[in-house]
Amino acid sequence: MKSISLIGMVSLVLLTNITIHAQIKNAKTATVKVFGNTPAAKMVIEGEGKSGKTARVAWDRQTNMATITYDASKTNTDEILKRIALAGYDNEKFLAPDDVYAQLPKGDQYVRSLKPKPESQTMTVIPQDGHRSIPSPDHSAHQPVAETAAGKETQLTNLVNQYFALKDALVKTDASAAAEKAALLQEAIKAVDMNKLASAEHTVWMKVMNNLATDAAAIAKGKDITKQRLGFASLSTKLYELAKVSSFGSPVYYQHCPMFNDGKGANWLSKEKAVKNPFYGSQMITCGSTVETLN
Amino acid sequence: MKVSKKRNIVLTVVLFVAAQVAVFAQKVVRHDLYVRDTIVNYAGKAKRAIAVNGQIPMPTLTFTEGDTAEIVVHNKLKEGTSLHWHGIFLPNKEDGVPHLTQEPIKPNSTYTYRFPIIQHGTHWYHSHSGLQEQIGMYGSLILNKRADDKTFRKGIDDLPTIPVIISEWTNYNPDNIQRMLHTGNDWAAIKKGATQSYVEAIKEGKFATKITNEWKRQLAMDVSDVYYDKILLNGAHSTDLKEVDGKALKAGDKVRLRISNGGASSYFWLRYAGGKITVVANDGNDVVPVEVDRLMIAVSETYDVVVTIPNAGTAYEFMATTEDRTQSASYFVGSGIKQLISPLPRLKYFEGMKMMNDMMKMDGNLNDMGMNMSLNQMDMNVVMYSEITGDGKKKEDHGKHSGMDHGKMKMDEDPNRYNANALGDIVTLNYAMLESPHDTELPKSAPVRDLKFTLTGNMSRYVWSMDNKILSETDKIPVKKGEVLRITIYNNSMMRHPIHLHGFDFRLLNGKGAKAPLKNVVDIMPMETDNIEFLANEEGDWFFHCHILYHMMAGMNRVFAVDDYKNPYLPDKAKAYKELQHESNMTHFMAQNDFATNGNDGQAMFQNARWQLGSEWRLGYNDMHGYEVETHLGRFFGKMQWFMPFVGFDYRYRRMGEDGHEKNIFGQANKKDSRKGVSLGFMYTLPMLVNFQAEVYHDGIVRLQMMREDIPISRRIRGDFMVNSDLEYMAGLNYIITKNMAFRTHYDSDMGFGVGLSLNY
Repeated sequence: MKSISLIGMVSLVLLTNITIHAQIKNAKTATVKVFGNTPAAKMVIEGEGKSGKTARVAWDRQTNMATITYDASKTNTDEILKRIALAGYDNEKFLAPDDVYAQLPKGDQYVRSLKPKPESQTMTVIPQDGHRSIPSPDHSAHQPVAETAAGKETQLTNLVNQYFALKDALVKTDASAAAEKAALLQEAIKAVDMNKLASAEHTVWMKVMNNLATDAAAIAKGKDITKQRLGFASLSTKLYELAKVSSFGSPVYYQHCPMFNDGKGANWLSKEKAVKNPFYGSQMITCGSTVETLN
Repeated sequence: MKVSKKRNIVLTVVLFVAAQVAVFAQKVVRHDLYVRDTIVNYAGKAKRAIAVNGQIPMPTLTFTEGDTAEIVVHNKLKEGTSLHWHGIFLPNKEDGVPHLTQEPIKPNSTYTYRFPIIQHGTHWYHSHSGLQEQIGMYGSLILNKRADDKTFRKGIDDLPTIPVIISEWTNYNPDNIQRMLHTGNDWAAIKKGATQSYVEAIKEGKFATKITNEWKRQLAMDVSDVYYDKILLNGAHSTDLKEVDGKALKAGDKVRLRISNGGASSYFWLRYAGGKITVVANDGNDVVPVEVDRLMIAVSETYDVVVTIPNAGTAYEFMATTEDRTQSASYFVGSGIKQLISPLPRLKYFEGMKMMNDMMKMDGNLNDMGMNMSLNQMDMNVVMYSEITGDGKKKEDHGKHSGMDHGKMKMDEDPNRYNANALGDIVTLNYAMLESPHDTELPKSAPVRDLKFTLTGNMSRYVWSMDNKILSETDKIPVKKGEVLRITIYNNSMMRHPIHLHGFDFRLLNGKGAKAPLKNVVDIMPMETDNIEFLANEEGDWFFHCHILYHMMAGMNRVFAVDDYKNPYLPDKAKAYKELQHESNMTHFMAQNDFATNGNDGQAMFQNARWQLGSEWRLGYNDMHGYEVETHLGRFFGKMQWFMPFVGFDYRYRRMGEDGHEKNIFGQANKKDSRKGVSLGFMYTLPMLVNFQAEVYHDGIVRLQMMREDIPISRRIRGDFMVNSDLEYMAGLNYIITKNMAFRTHYDSDMGFGVGLSLNY
């Protein structure tokens, strides 16, 4: 008797197990449109939608319809669709985060017909040029140097702008862009007509001209960001001497990184007061301090 | 004499009548709050919580400047309670700190708080008793401007507005969390995937970083210590905000969220899927609007932010994510299809560990390398944020770089990845960007007093303090009414601390000159120095403390006693203060035993911030293996608590075999089978977290011992070893199964090889 009941129990347990493997308990089914158009999309949509024994998704690439089978006591369609959207695929309930969509391989990017067209400019548009900085009162005063500079200052304006572009490339730790900007800087250095400089400027220019050209050339040829940065450190000290006797039209900030080059430290010039460290880039982006403001 | 007395009475009567008239002129707004135990299920388990008027969070209390608040608390709990009005200017006796401004509200009693509302802004209220704040006792406290207020800002103060209070939920009993923090249980790290073990270090190529970290006697670094099961915004994990005050939200609408961080120990990132966030107020004070992509709200801070619904037919996610990025909660603003925001990527813990190594000197002090950090501007944690600094998976392909250890460039030659928003192109709020719309300068005539506090503490014993003194080791700080206190706070500990001042707003000196923002909480990151100042013009005992609940309960507190305030609710202030001191230095108990095949090994310990009474035992199953109990009573010294002198009492019995002598390395023999000893000694934590212990017994026998526990080998495997001058040694491995249980195997020179189950409490 006892053994029979035991056998019964064992077989019951086995049976239950089989049913669990075979199908989802408390199963409910829903059909929802999920956007996408590639076999890769199918893999992701079905993979993300699936959850152990509580949810399964079958997605049809032609119709874009997903058949969701789920255990209604454990989960719901929102949870499942949210996972799919977070993997990059829009559906009736959720829109994928823009950055996740943007990271889908080009071929897997589909037409986002559910997404409303931007009506206003307040939508986050991630700027591509990387020039935006932290808004601060100082920033509102900041205008492109070229616009405010006049007359003889044009001589140095182009040079300084190229320097800032080079700095931004180093902030981004982008060695090839830095080389490119340094080449432009070289041109700008050559283009300066020293006879048109004020006498104080002229004196300094005579002193630093060769060094500026050498450093710029080294950076332009360089492929190793570390060497480029060493060159930039040297370049910056020379340009600082020039900045002290000259006016670039808007305030320039002389900033200091205490750690670069085995703790020897290094300085740079910036248009913005907010620190963006060109010597470490992303590693220590806001590390450093302004040591002097030049007007 | 007689005349003057009479005049006094007349004056009093006149004053009294005047006061009454004033009271009647104001609107009294009364709220009744019924505080009850309840059972909730936020994260899959039914657990105890505290509900007020049947709800968590507590009801939002709304007043208008000029009202008189009357809040009647009906305590239906089996324990005392209290309510503190966070950020509110009020008479000290209404401030709601038990044992400091009032006695705890006894069970089954009623207590009335009554104070005039003399300010406006987003504030909150919470229990200041024990850990009640963790389990439900927090709520929004909204003080509206009067319509005729000169500071009324069109386009901000007239927007559709909702209060949002953020909180965390844990299925663990918070008393247990507190105990586990003090006993170094790292279960929270396992749950968060933040163990930072050797195996993980090797996998990520960070073995040297891990070694350096342990060499500097540091435990795994993390941005928070407690694992939470759920994050809640107004008590819900996800909320659809389709209308405000009955009016449907439509495209182009702006919504003002009055956000309070009512979490006990979590900082939150606030982000919005629909564009920029405009910050318009902080800690209840207006600030000049500033647009950001994201901001971090420190524990107990409040921020008013404005978000815009850019398009019709879409609800945009507003998300609060814990600083450790393991949990989040959302509001969907607008109606229609839900535009999600991507979750914040996992922290790169080893980058953080490396950064900490570089900043940490061998003596445990921090070295900011001359960077003069302040105001959250330089967030060293950014090295762990892959959305700013890349995903950290790219291996170094340049060989040696110049620069220091932390100069390794992970982003090299990877211009495609995160090109657009990497490198700080997204704007994160910091304190230097906050500016008051009006002058906040303090009267120049007031006398100024300078104070300096260094925030101190250590992770291993979870002792948090100011100037290496916990509340129970300090008296109140006397302050003259009318003085300006100018306070410099330097954080020399490796965790950030949100420091909160009761009863006043202070000016945070952030470079905005006369328009320095007013705040009542300042978050100070490791190595940062911040300066605050305020006019102490309201008498009473004002609490000044770290608002991370478990740090506050560990003693990271001070009291400013402005003049000699007579508190009618506290006749014996000296005794009450002792009580307060006692509650912030509670004794914690822990115990552990390994039930193994070769015997029982275990320990039990009582400890508070400075003292430790602990017993260790090794009980064999036969006389040859022996029985041994060592008890130590010791006191920790120093900020890092690496040094502990102790007195010890040992008992052991072991029947010696044929060659029944045991000699230690000094040639001292111990012939007795049964041995009782009294010893004097000390324990010192060596680099690599090895505990070196030296003791000399009453009979002249010397014993030296080196021991290391909890070597994080992999996520769940911990190693340990011990060797001593009696030529005994032991090595073991634990596999952690749950927070209270581990599978253990070890070899002991006395007892041989054993396997067993180790239980801990």
